Amino acid sequence: MTAPVLEVENLKVHFPLPGGEAVHAVDGLSFSLPAGLAFGLVGESGSGKTTAAMACARLTEITSGQIRLSGRDITALQGTALKDARRDVQVVFQDPYASLNPRERAGAIVRRPLDLLKIGTPAQRDARVDELFALVGLRPDQKALFPHQFSGGQRQRIGIARALATGPKLLVCDEPVSALDVAIQAQILNLLARLKADLGLSFLFISHDLAVVQHLCDRIAVMYLGKIVEIASRRDLFTTPMHPYTHALISAVPSPHTAASRIRLQGDPPSPINPPKGCRFAGRCAHAQDICHRVMPTLIANDTDHAVACHRAHDPVVAAARTVLPRSAQSA
Amino acid sequence: MTTPLLSVRNLEISFRSGGQDIPVVRDLSFDLSSGEILGIVGESGCGKSITALSLIGLVPSPPGRISGGQILFQGEDLVQASQARLNAVRGNDISMVFQEPMTSLNPVFSIGEQIAETARAHFGLTRAKAWARAVEMLALVGIPSPAKRAHDYPHQLSGGMRQRVMIAIALVCEPKILIADEPTTALDVTVQAQIFDLFQELQQKIDAAIILITHDIGVVAQMTDRVMVMYAGRKIEEGPVTEFLGDPRHPYTRGLISCIPRLSLPPQDHPAPLFEIPGVVPAPKDLGRPGCAFAPRCAGVQPRCHTETPALSTRAPGRAVACWLETEDAL
Repeated sequence: MTAPVLEVENLKVHFPLPGGEAVHAVDGLSFSLPAGLAFGLVGESGSGKTTAAMACARLTEITSGQIRLSGRDITALQGTALKDARRDVQVVFQDPYASLNPRERAGAIVRRPLDLLKIGTPAQRDARVDELFALVGLRPDQKALFPHQFSGGQRQRIGIARALATGPKLLVCDEPVSALDVAIQAQILNLLARLKADLGLSFLFISHDLAVVQHLCDRIAVMYLGKIVEIASRRDLFTTPMHPYTHALISAVPSPHTAASRIRLQGDPPSPINPPKGCRFAGRCAHAQDICHRVMPTLIANDTDHAVACHRAHDPVVAAARTVLPRSAQSA
Repeated sequence: MTTPLLSVRNLEISFRSGGQDIPVVRDLSFDLSSGEILGIVGESGCGKSITALSLIGLVPSPPGRISGGQILFQGEDLVQASQARLNAVRGNDISMVFQEPMTSLNPVFSIGEQIAETARAHFGLTRAKAWARAVEMLALVGIPSPAKRAHDYPHQLSGGMRQRVMIAIALVCEPKILIADEPTTALDVTVQAQIFDLFQELQQKIDAAIILITHDIGVVAQMTDRVMVMYAGRKIEEGPVTEFLGDPRHPYTRGLISCIPRLSLPPQDHPAPLFEIPGVVPAPKDLGRPGCAFAPRCAGVQPRCHTETPALSTRAPGRAVACWLETEDAL
């Protein structure tokens, strides 16, 4: 196995508030992303998944922790060194309507990273733009058009071409299809899957949509209020979810199969300003015990690399409650 | 069978643009009975939302107007009704939950006042009684400590809580029809599940009919009894939800169902590429010509599809599809 393309260690991103408090958006995140895989980060709004992704691309200030890109520590890079590192990590943003400069032609938008990072000669840059347009399924004559002349799906293709321009090793995709119409989502998801297979790209893929994550990602981490509660392979996460929150999340996806065995979560997540000191999910968890409210569980991996942060994950009662989900789905 | 609660007949909605009336909904007919949940699905730009707005007289006018057809609510044509009559129907008999709970509430009034306002307008309750009713509604939609939270302003609530407030406003008069336009797209999946549970409970409690506009096939499967698929302003397929999912007939319906990644348990090891519907929804102004509007994106397109518009043909009671391939099948 090759070295991980991305390693994140105890990453914290806190946003200070007036009065000395802080929003604990990302609060001690550790994971590693093996090269060539798509790593999904799922969670509900406010769970810190986007902040975590932006931190990995050095687009938001990091409070503490370490980020290594292909073994190289990029946490504190500045200036030219940071620019240099950006060649290897690029971002596809959520909203293709807001992330393209409306006054720039599509060709210039895609070329911009090459200009900024001074990659190749001007002629080579032009050739690279042509190549990228073909790669994402846009026609060469569309280089001269402005963003408003494209549909949402085509705009996201431009965003993807721009992200691929520098030949990155890691592509950070922040909800790349959630702003698109249903029929267009399939076109973009298929494009991303093809790029992953053809270019051997690694993905850090942020989404709130479990079905999308299941479709594209090899390994998946579930976030809740700034922390990872579970990391597993696609198969393990969806067949034997170990964390009660993961289980609730899967069962909440509307489908004819899950309706009967739905776990009804009550209430909302607690505030990230003063997060509870024990397990952050304890207040909404049906299995919470005294220890869950007092002590923060740590993320512990088993021998199949399935990690969970739950005091009660191996309790027979909790385990029995979990098995309801896959069985009912198989029989349906 | 009794007369339906709502019967839409040959509805046409047009928007004035560039000196021309451009129809965005054409020849739309459907019925809705008490206690029924009807799903309307289609991509953006298919006319779903404007159809919903037309039912409560909220087509933005100008430039829009209902340019033909009837909307019969308990036999009364709402297209011909006066503003005063529409005001009485709106909120009282037919109410709506909008897509954006973040922007649909007034930020400068407490949520209790916003619910009470509706109760006072329709029932002429005193302030005190209307407030009591507002608190009761907040409890009904599952907001904890409702008497206290009624004094909160929208910005103090989470997205899920705001959507509950919207639902409380929509239900305060116990409407006969509740229209929900993508009521959960702005919400997280666990909150979405709570809102749908709430819809189902309320529907059973007050026997309301619900029109649910959505693009999420999972939501359709779980929530609705009957489904209507719209494309480019027309109904192109209709049927019971089991047949919609199990035996979709229109190529567009099939595409819509299979282009969405669906959660599979257990997961597949190597998911196949998703089905793609090529191209995009045509703009209304490009629809003047004859032929099926879906033809340019259709894999099974025939020469006839470009020249003649297929009519909606009924295959069985409540089951209809507008596609030449199906008509030839039936012959």
